[in-house]
This record gives sequence, structure tokens and C-alpha cells, in this order.
Amino acid sequence: MNQEPAIVGIGATPYYFRGESLPQTKHELIGKAVIAAADDAGLPITAIDGIAGYASGVIEPGQLTEMLGLPELNFAALIAAQGGGSAGVLDLAALAIQTGRAHTVLCLGACQQSTNRYGVTFANMAATPDNVWASAAGLQGPGQTMALLTRRHMHLYGTRREAFGEIVIASRQAASTRPTAIRRKPLSMDEYLAAPMLSDPLCRLDFCLETDGALAFIVTSAERARDLRQKPVHIAASAHGGARNWGRAFFWLNMPDEDFASTGSAHTARRLYAQAGITPQDIDVALLYDHFSPLVLMQLEDYGFCPRGEGGPFVESGAIRLGGSIPVNPHGGHLSEAYVIGMTHIREAVEQLRGTAINQIPNAKYALVSGGPAPIPLSGAILRSAA
Amino acid sequence: MTEISARRDLSTLEIPTDAWTKPFWDATAEGRLLLPQCGACHTFRWPPGPFCPACRSQHTQWQPAGQGLIYSFTIIRAKDQPPTVPALIEFPEAGNIRLIAAIVDTSLDAIVIGAKVKQNWAKAGDTNVPVFTI
Repeated sequence: MNQEPAIVGIGATPYYFRGESLPQTKHELIGKAVIAAADDAGLPITAIDGIAGYASGVIEPGQLTEMLGLPELNFAALIAAQGGGSAGVLDLAALAIQTGRAHTVLCLGACQQSTNRYGVTFANMAATPDNVWASAAGLQGPGQTMALLTRRHMHLYGTRREAFGEIVIASRQAASTRPTAIRRKPLSMDEYLAAPMLSDPLCRLDFCLETDGALAFIVTSAERARDLRQKPVHIAASAHGGARNWGRAFFWLNMPDEDFASTGSAHTARRLYAQAGITPQDIDVALLYDHFSPLVLMQLEDYGFCPRGEGGPFVESGAIRLGGSIPVNPHGGHLSEAYVIGMTHIREAVEQLRGTAINQIPNAKYALVSGGPAPIPLSGAILRSAA
Repeated sequence: MTEISARRDLSTLEIPTDAWTKPFWDATAEGRLLLPQCGACHTFRWPPGPFCPACRSQHTQWQPAGQGLIYSFTIIRAKDQPPTVPALIEFPEAGNIRLIAAIVDTSLDAIVIGAKVKQNWAKAGDTNVPVFTI
């Protein structure tokens, strides 16, 4: 078990509303997060000998070593992704530690939307032979394609907008106690239902925040972790990949009917539970990638917290609240705290398992972290507190 | 008051093509909607590409799409603009391929999952983009 990897340091910049991180550069934000993570671990930054980055919005390994004076790298990999791979940085780091390729691996993720608004990514992309149908149809960003999945879920299972509202309301409630959160004002169901429709059935409040920030994590072996400053958080399972029937997801939109109104994550979920040797009932807190609220509901189904099609009533029962059967995103998530492409979810999982979270789940032992429902690779991890 | 889904002006839209998508746009230029089918195992695929994902054959034949049905749709509301309705149109006669295309000139009340759609066109450069009405 000593080969098991553990997260021993976390570092983050403040979270900024879109554009407010300027004039800091994105690389500067990343550098500050890395320095903070090494400090948190009680390790010199020069101990870092591996990088596992999330390709979207991050920095080239060579540039990072130059900028921060890292003496040498024995592992340097970026996981390709458009949201799906975010938790996959932990899988890459785990591989490097388990194989002995590197001893101290840095996981990284960042975004600065002042330079690139993800919500209109399709509109910003040059038309290609493969994507021209979407732009011709008037689709401008991922939210509008998620609306297609969402309407299908409502059609098949009778899912109501009130369920999506409950997800947003629960996230606001969690964020209300957190100084790091951008949206802390409590929200009522009436306010939710009255919010303007952007891409029916999705209203403005179903879309996540647009924010800037960088986060970094230090991963090493559980054996070495015992001698470090923080209570280690073990990576009990990690996975990236996905099934062909999900493929490019919202760029494809031809997923078979049984997979269309889902998040494609059932494949990742099966692998994670098998690797960790546990079931969904063992998870104490779920950090689910919440770029759009209905996709939280569909992930709850794919990760086995409720049967397929029953996510609506499950959420409306209060199950995902603090104190519910599976608390989801007690940090407020992308919907209310900040959007840094999944990285804030990893941070919250670590804080929950260290026992230092602001909205602490009592005696949390297992935390699930998911990458975004997006094109393959999808990803996820199950983290475990040190005994 | 019933709202009507808008028809966007696509006349200046440039349609990039490659060897595998060009037959689609050559056909739409002539007012025909054709979808790609494997010439070996007859599996339909979307988007058009160099291999059949079922048998890896490169032999492709283009078939009439047939009657389309609404599989899903969204109503996009931008400030001070009429609603637009991108939709997934499914073609049961062509292996349930789904095409993403706008539903235009149609009362929003009539746009429901499962509705049969009628073929229509929007001029785009030298060709036509498929759009649908009900």
C-alpha cells in the first residue's frame, strides 16, 4: 500500500470574477498557486520533479520549469480535455508515483477567461468541416448543447426545472458561508424560476460562473507523505478515459439514445468503484463538476447515487444538501464559488478529508471528484482520508 | 401571442469542406439531403468521415435522409432578438442519424419532441444549409 499516492499540498490564487485577475498574467497566477502548494506541503519547490497538467488553459511544462527554476523533470504530461479530463491530473500523477517515474508531482489547472470566454467557445472556433453544422444551426457554446441533453432527460423521465433549481439553491446555500465564493446570496425557488431563459430549458442561473484563478496540488507516495506537514489524502482510485458511445459528446450529439441524456460517466464510475473496492454508499461527499446544473443531476445517476432517470426526485428530496444522504459540492462549486475547470473540486475534496473544510462533513472518509461531462477523456477520482 | 422561431441570415456563412463532407454540401446545393452510409456493412454514420466505425471500410454511399423527427431542441433567447431554435433532427430511415439544424418560421408551441419536420433551406454561399419547419 505504500505505493499508493497521496495529495500532500494544495495551493490556490484568490478566485476572481472574469477579468479581475488582470494585470496578473495567467502564468503568474499559476506560479503563485505552485509556490503556495509547495509551502502547504512543507516541501521546497525545487523538490517538484513531475508535472501532471490539465491542458486547457495551463502552461507548457518547459515554460513552468524556466519560470520557477525547477531543476529537472522526470515526468511531464498534460491531459487533453475540454472539461472532461480535469480530475485526470490526479490519475496522471498517480501513475507517475506508482511507477516510480517521479517522486513529487505537481498537478495544475488554471483559467483566465478575460482572454477566452468558454461560454462562446463554438463561436470563437474557426469553422471546420466537422463543426460547421453546429454554427449553421446557431449553437454558440456548450450550454446550448447541454440544453439539448437536458430537454431529452425531461422528456424521458419527467424531470422538472425545480430539480435544477434545487441544485443551484443548494450550491448558493453552501457558498453563503465561504469567503472565497463569488455568489453568496441565498436564492429562492421563485427567484430561480423567474430568471431569464438563455437556452430553454436552461436559464441564466443554470450556467456556471466565469472566473479566473489557478490551483496546484502536490502528490507524492503515501510512505513519504507520513513525514510531511499535512495530514495526507490518499488517491484511492483514479481514472481517465471513456466509452465510444459518448465520444465527443456535445460536439457529436449522436450518442445512442440510452446514453444521450446522461453524462457519459458510468464507465468512469465503474472503474473507480472497482479500483477503490467500495460502492456509492461509501462516498461521504461528492464533488461533481457543475458547469451546468442539470449535468449534476445526470452525474448523480451515472455515479450510482440513484437509478437512471430518478435524479430529479432524488435531488428534490434534499439528498444533496449538507446533511443529506450525499452532500454535493459543499464549497459551492462552479455554480456559486468559482469556475476553475474542476480544480476547486479537488481542493474541496482534500480539505474535507483533512477535516479542515469550511462546511465540513463530519468524519468524511471518502470523497468523489468528477471531471466535466465533456468529450473523452472523462475522468474522476476517489480520495480517502488517512486513517 | 405565439412566438415564431427566427430564420437567421446565413448568406455569408462560409462552409469549409473536406473530401468526406463535400458530397453532403454538393447535394444540398441541389436541394437534396443525403446522409452517409457504409458501402460494405450499410451502417450509417455521422459526421461524414473517412472510416465506417462499425467495419472500418472506406466505401461510402450517400442515401436520402427520409422523414425527420425532432429528437431534442433548445430555444435560444438573446436580448432584443427573436428566439432561434437549434434542434436535433433524427432520421429513422437513415440509421437514426441526428443532424443539428435550426427549426425556422415555426410557432414555438408546435415544436415538441417527436414532431415530424419538413425540409427547407437557407442559402449559404454557393450551397444551402438544411433548416426545418413543421
